[in-house]
Amino acid sequence: MSSTTLDPSRRGTHAAGHTAGTLPGTSTGPGPSFLRVLNSEFIKFRTLLSTLILLGCTVLVVVGFGALSAWGTGQFSEAASRDPQAAAAFAAQGGDLAVGVPTSGIAFAQLILGSLGVLLMSSEFTTGMARSTFAAVPKRIPAFAAKLLVVMVTAFVLTAASVFLAGLVSLPILDNYGLKLDLSSSQSVKMLLVNSLYVAAVAAIGMALGSLIRNSAGGIMSLVGLFFVAPIAFQLIPGDFFVQARKYLPGNTVDPMTAVQHVPDTLEAWQAALVLGAWVVIPVVLAAVLLKKRDV
Amino acid sequence: MIEARGLTKVYGDKTAVAGVNFTVEAGRVTGFLGPNGAGKSTTMRMIMGLDRPTSGTVTVNGTPFAQHAAPLRDVGALLDAKAVHTSRSAYNHLLAMAATHSIPKRRVHEVIEMTGLADVAKKKVGGFSLGMGQRLGIAAALLGDPQTVILDEPVNGLDPEGVVWVRNLVRHLASEGRTVFLSSHLMSEMAVTADHLIVIGRGRIIADAPIQDIINGKGRIRTRVRTDQPDQLMHLLAGDGVSVELQDNELLEVTGLDPRRIARAALDGHVMIYELTPLQASLEEAYMELTKDEVEYHSLIATGAAAPVQSGGN
Repeated sequence: MSSTTLDPSRRGTHAAGHTAGTLPGTSTGPGPSFLRVLNSEFIKFRTLLSTLILLGCTVLVVVGFGALSAWGTGQFSEAASRDPQAAAAFAAQGGDLAVGVPTSGIAFAQLILGSLGVLLMSSEFTTGMARSTFAAVPKRIPAFAAKLLVVMVTAFVLTAASVFLAGLVSLPILDNYGLKLDLSSSQSVKMLLVNSLYVAAVAAIGMALGSLIRNSAGGIMSLVGLFFVAPIAFQLIPGDFFVQARKYLPGNTVDPMTAVQHVPDTLEAWQAALVLGAWVVIPVVLAAVLLKKRDV
Repeated sequence: MIEARGLTKVYGDKTAVAGVNFTVEAGRVTGFLGPNGAGKSTTMRMIMGLDRPTSGTVTVNGTPFAQHAAPLRDVGALLDAKAVHTSRSAYNHLLAMAATHSIPKRRVHEVIEMTGLADVAKKKVGGFSLGMGQRLGIAAALLGDPQTVILDEPVNGLDPEGVVWVRNLVRHLASEGRTVFLSSHLMSEMAVTADHLIVIGRGRIIADAPIQDIINGKGRIRTRVRTDQPDQLMHLLAGDGVSVELQDNELLEVTGLDPRRIARAALDGHVMIYELTPLQASLEEAYMELTKDEVEYHSLIATGAAAPVQSGGN
């Protein structure tokens, strides 16, 4: 590698305002407005191969599980049609198993995109990138908010697109078994929107955890603990408290929000939305406050 | 200009920086010298608003860094060669940094050219050598064409060519009237790069003076003299604050008299001398002397601040 001598003439027009004798401390250009920081965070987001791979995996998994679930649902309905008792149970549920097919891969989408949320923030600290980021945006909160926005919007759009794609792929499979799925029905649209919002919320929680813990493994383990271990543990621990508490876990807020009718002994849709909102707002605010306070 | 007033940083029960005061002036290269763990990096992180001072303040051009309207355009810093996501390319890293201040792509290409990274700019930073990492850090520091440049150990891991390049770069930046604050534990490098030196040890400033004053150290000037008549010369030079050491048959080392006065004394006493060499302590020696004893630091600050003496501390 050859070293380049610094040639003042190559410093371009920019150097003109900064020659010897210039009064110090006078910036000659724009600073970090929120839109610029957002642009920067988006550049950072799309220039990591690992991020793109995780996004690709999400699409594959959601579409794959949609197709698999369409096949499984078809098999089930075929079996049910030969068994009058099962057919009755099937009909009692509204007969609409197919509407849940496109969102059957959500559990995996939330795991991948939640982990991505953790990684995008924790890697800032593990790689030292945070020093560059927060030297450029010393107020810190705009960078955090911009990253949060990028993560949440991406998670929402990607989940929505994947679910829609999963729906399209499962249509011919369901058709094979004589099942109807209307992707434009209000319930289908509701399922798609609520699940996409939910995954965006999980990604936000992941990012907050990544920011609080500043460690990739620790952040992802906490996320898995909250979304996969806690629901099972709460079910196994005897006692009324845990039965009640289980309803308030973030992972259990989706069913009440997408239910056609309110199921007894579950949260109302609006309650579930508030609970999920709290699960996002509290860690995010905590992460932002501590990010502002702690040393980088 | 960087001004630290009572700047203190305490981590748990360890005081990394203990109430330091210093001013880094524009238009010259100020070296920040100290052993590992002396508090150099902590001080620099506090300047950049990354670490919050436990007490005291530090400002750049009169304003704390975090309150600058366009921080990257005012202050550029290389704090850590690896302050980069290892999976991102150098170009994309600089592009993302530039985007925060709407710095044009043209400038990104400029700093890449300037730092000699053109061949590797599209490669992942994770595969960079330490030297290339340093170049990228310097490129990032120069991105906003800042008035103040802070470089923490910039020559670490650079090849000799790179070391010379950094030296020329910082001298050039200072000659343009910029504030250049450079840390290093390589004293020989400081001796040829810096104009002014701030020496820190165990979190305290132990010297803050022009580099020449620190090398001269407490005004002790040593001169090597060769003469046929050492005994006679020793007699002629004897006086208050002067010590003469006979090192060899015809070789004397005189401390406390400048060469001119030695020559005059020899001439007056009709003693022929055939060598008269002013001996300069190297920065290493001066530094070792400084860090030897805490008490001596204070005495140096006192004399250094009162009057940057040329000769004779007496």
